[in-house]
Amino acid sequence: MSDSSKPSAIYPCGRLARRDFIHQIGGGFLGLALGGLWAEAGEIKDVAIGPDHAAKAKSVIFLFMCGGVSHIDTFDPKDNKWAGKFIDAIGFGDNLAAMKRPVIPCLRTFTRHGKSGTPVSDWFPHVGGVIDDIAVVRSMWCHEGNHFPAVVETQTGHRGRAFDNPAFGSWVSYALGSANKNLPTFVNLGRPSSPVQLTGGYLGASVAATPFQAGETPIPNLYPPKGGSSAERERQMQLLHTMNQEFRERYAINSDIQARAKAYELAARMQLSAPEAVDFSGEPEHVKALYGIGEKETEEFGKQLLLARRLAEKGVRFIQICHAGGGNGAWDSHGDMKTHGPLCRATDKPISGLIKDLKQRGMLDQTLVVWTSEFGRTPWSQNTTGRDHNPKGYTSWMAGGGIKGGVVHGGTDEVGYKAEDSPHYYSDLHATILQQLGLNHKKIKVEALGRTMKLVEDGGPIKEIIA
Amino acid sequence: MICLCASILAGHTDTQTNKPKAEVWWSLKPVVRSALPEGTESNPIDRFINAEIKTRKLKAVGPAEKLTLLRRVHLDLIGIPPTPAEQDAFLANKSADAYEKVVDRLLAEEQHAVRFARHWLDVLRYADADERMTAAPGIHLWRDWVINALHDDVPYDQFVQLQLTGRRANERTQMSATGYRSRKEPRPGDQFALGLLARGTGENPQELAINAVDTVSTAFMGMTVGCAKCHDHMYDPITQTNYYSMKALFDPLVLRKITLASAADLLANGKAMAEAEKKRAPLEKAVNDFAAPFKTKLYEERVLMLPPEAQAIIRKPEKQRTVEEQKVADDYFPILRIDGDKLTESMPVEARKQYQELQRQLNAGGAATTGRQAPALPLFYGVEVDRLREQEKSYILTSGDPLRPEKEHEVKPGWPFATEEPDFREGRIEAFADWLTAPENPLFARVAVNRMWQWHFGEGLLKNTSDFGVFGGAPSHPALLDWLASEFVRDGFSMKQIHRLMVTSDVYKRASEAGTEFAENQNLDPGNTALWRFRLRRLEAEPIWDSIHSAVGDLDLKVGGPSFDPTAGGDGNRRRNESAGNGGTSSKRRGVYMTRGYSPSREVTPNFLQTFDVDDGRAPCPLRTQTVTAPQALFLMNSPDIDKASVELADRLKKETKGDLPSAVDLAYRLALARPPSASEKTSALAYLENDAARLNRLSWLLFNLDELIYVR
Repeated sequence: MSDSSKPSAIYPCGRLARRDFIHQIGGGFLGLALGGLWAEAGEIKDVAIGPDHAAKAKSVIFLFMCGGVSHIDTFDPKDNKWAGKFIDAIGFGDNLAAMKRPVIPCLRTFTRHGKSGTPVSDWFPHVGGVIDDIAVVRSMWCHEGNHFPAVVETQTGHRGRAFDNPAFGSWVSYALGSANKNLPTFVNLGRPSSPVQLTGGYLGASVAATPFQAGETPIPNLYPPKGGSSAERERQMQLLHTMNQEFRERYAINSDIQARAKAYELAARMQLSAPEAVDFSGEPEHVKALYGIGEKETEEFGKQLLLARRLAEKGVRFIQICHAGGGNGAWDSHGDMKTHGPLCRATDKPISGLIKDLKQRGMLDQTLVVWTSEFGRTPWSQNTTGRDHNPKGYTSWMAGGGIKGGVVHGGTDEVGYKAEDSPHYYSDLHATILQQLGLNHKKIKVEALGRTMKLVEDGGPIKEIIA
Repeated sequence: MICLCASILAGHTDTQTNKPKAEVWWSLKPVVRSALPEGTESNPIDRFINAEIKTRKLKAVGPAEKLTLLRRVHLDLIGIPPTPAEQDAFLANKSADAYEKVVDRLLAEEQHAVRFARHWLDVLRYADADERMTAAPGIHLWRDWVINALHDDVPYDQFVQLQLTGRRANERTQMSATGYRSRKEPRPGDQFALGLLARGTGENPQELAINAVDTVSTAFMGMTVGCAKCHDHMYDPITQTNYYSMKALFDPLVLRKITLASAADLLANGKAMAEAEKKRAPLEKAVNDFAAPFKTKLYEERVLMLPPEAQAIIRKPEKQRTVEEQKVADDYFPILRIDGDKLTESMPVEARKQYQELQRQLNAGGAATTGRQAPALPLFYGVEVDRLREQEKSYILTSGDPLRPEKEHEVKPGWPFATEEPDFREGRIEAFADWLTAPENPLFARVAVNRMWQWHFGEGLLKNTSDFGVFGGAPSHPALLDWLASEFVRDGFSMKQIHRLMVTSDVYKRASEAGTEFAENQNLDPGNTALWRFRLRRLEAEPIWDSIHSAVGDLDLKVGGPSFDPTAGGDGNRRRNESAGNGGTSSKRRGVYMTRGYSPSREVTPNFLQTFDVDDGRAPCPLRTQTVTAPQALFLMNSPDIDKASVELADRLKKETKGDLPSAVDLAYRLALARPPSASEKTSALAYLENDAARLNRLSWLLFNLDELIYVR
């Protein structure tokens, strides 16, 4: 344990020991908080795997719509000729699902947008406005047909929880390390469907998501309790250093003790840099307006996306935004498709605002925006005006970061049930993102639990959408 | 019956070379009581350790200072630092056995059992909540049972037997005067030991069995049998058949709900329920009568939507349908089911209003009589053998899906490494438990003493304490491990004896720091595997919590009871833990009782525990990750808990020293770090206080943020 200069590669509970993560981050800054006690210039040396080729994207903004968005009502238009018919009667069944279910009509109007003429439903008019920057993949699929297992499958690349597989963002954080020593590498905004979406799994806590809240306190315990003076805190920090000195000298050979000094350093730096990241006072009104900040329906998601842009700007590698999470997720419209309406309205303008804003800053080329759900929704209902879960065919899309704009790739069958044209298992989405980050999905692996654990078992990048 | 001999592995082939492996893996060889190495040391552990140090040309450091050792052994054995009075008493006691007296006192304390229960419960994957964990209500009674068993020093073989079978090995059956043999009732309270098996998630007994195999094999056998769930184990001699044989042991188990209430409570509860129903009945009838015509109309419409042949089936009375017809009817059930919102939608506006008013009356009336049901009675879930399930065959499930058994691959109940047909007359699990806990089983005692070694010294003699297979490697001191295992068996599996033996050794009492004269050691053995000094260790989350509250003086030492959620009520996002909140739980209870677990939809394990590396209990955790991270620093720097504790410690200091600052500084160090300050520490603390007692809370904050507070030297 503490003494080992080379800690064992893996703890039996299934986590890698990466205590060296923190203390390998070169010191920096901190001048203000600690009076420059540990100020030093340093390279960041926490990269575990490192780039394979030149990266197109520096950061990923990963928009996860919790509960399953209906592709049929958003980006994958179907005509209504089968509406009212039972799914098994019209020959699209596969005996795996209960098939005595009536296909329900899609009540949306689709408009061809932009130069590309990609059709987008009237639920996403603003996204329609930036569709020429977006590659729509209409042929995603995964195995699991229930929320939690599907979230696990799509977020970790593996079914079931036999192993404590890390979330996708943790793999990215592990592989690439930090580009900003003042902020975490993997940040989550919004309430996820499941804690699995934040876990570092066997890669350890140091690469797990740090949850940020778009609000006054972005990280738990970030600020000193109210009423204290900052001059006093600075004095305390100086004295703390002195009081710790003898202990730290006695145990100087111990990597834990060095790590602890650095942990306080990073904590102090986050204390300074995180509030700055969430402070929107310097953002011009027209930029806020792009995100729909100031409008009731779009305020919350707009703020999260603006924060996401600001974090990407500061070099945070992976910013995950979970929309409408908690429980099954609010996109889970079994009862009535109409419940998608407010969710689309809450996200439509902020998403288009994000893409426009990234573009006007020249950041879109290096920032990969991904929009996805754990699965889509079925053409049929369960005796309601809503739709059931559908892992067999659904839509994800990507923009920026070296992805072709105005492209539609793949497709589902005539009713929108199964991915038929160029089907892509969810791992292909992971592989595509890795590719754009300069990583080779085949090299994203680690020795853990007595075997080689990989993120992508099978599959590869979706070449057709890469510019 | 037990034979773990060379033949087990003789037929096993190397997966890479396809050649038979000649050598039996060390952990499967019988335990041989090693001869003590030459030496004058009275504690046998020291003979083994020092012999190795000598062989490797290392130099052992001297003993730790008295107060350092006192804090070490307190935090190790009870998880709470020594009080100033205990520090004084130990310093004053100059007798040769002063330290041994302390050890005996600590081992006899109930708090020792609380501390070590937490170690075991990590290994046995205790959780207050888990996805679909039926046994969640009352699961803390299993924790209470473990605490009691450790306090009573129940022999380890019985400790395991009880958690697997609910009975002591010699108390399974009884003979009546007429010569009729029957199963004996377990001792009262022992039923709670079965929480180990009941904790397996879900209603599905298949999940329970799979969970049992994974936990029992890693915890007590040190074997990751779980890998063989889907394929033969890549490294260890465990086949897929072994795995499903072992699962078959547990296949007949089902959950058993036990209501923990007195006869009077049960009667009162039944009466309350009947009364509530009586009051509801007329209101319910009014609602149903009103809805009936609308329901019928809606149903008729739905039926008319169906294909004619389906309509014909639906219109038949259920008893006249053939099996196939019933299947069709079931298929259409969701189509015909009438949901509440669809029903109200179908009503004209006026009727809808009337209907909603009737519903409102029903709900209001129900609430006035404590709802549909009487208040919940306390529950516990145990397990029992289902006689019907016992008749069923078990199969391999390569897919892992209990609904898709491989009918061509039947397995008989059994376990890896068994060579003879097991004798199941007393029950499957009983037969397994007898084999498992037998003194001759080479894994059973080795795995246990190695865990105890890890808990005292920070690292097992075999590092991966749950992997005695090929991947786990070889122990650092094989002879010592075997000697300890045989001693454990010889002592009748007394865990307290082993604890005592370990913590009274010289190697345990060594200093953790090494001066420059030990530089050569550092080169020869940088990992300190030879134990030439004591390992510096970071405290786990619970003793950090306990240390802070014990310094403040408000640590609640009550033993047993449900878990508490320190953030309950404060955090809008988190629902109160179901088991917390009753039984007068206080947030000053020991960290052991802090709620933990997992839910896909909410945070169960409090941020504090997560930050300091506590697992959610979904899988056995034999060794916690020890990270050092910025969020930990933020907790200690800025959390409301530390802010509050700083103020409270300052109040205590003022009160107990009557405002005399030099004594306050003294006391502060003794409360927080279990030692007085050095001269220079005292000088700088007094300088910082500026003669102002109001600044004591800031000094308290400093002490809570010192490295030394969360490390054991």
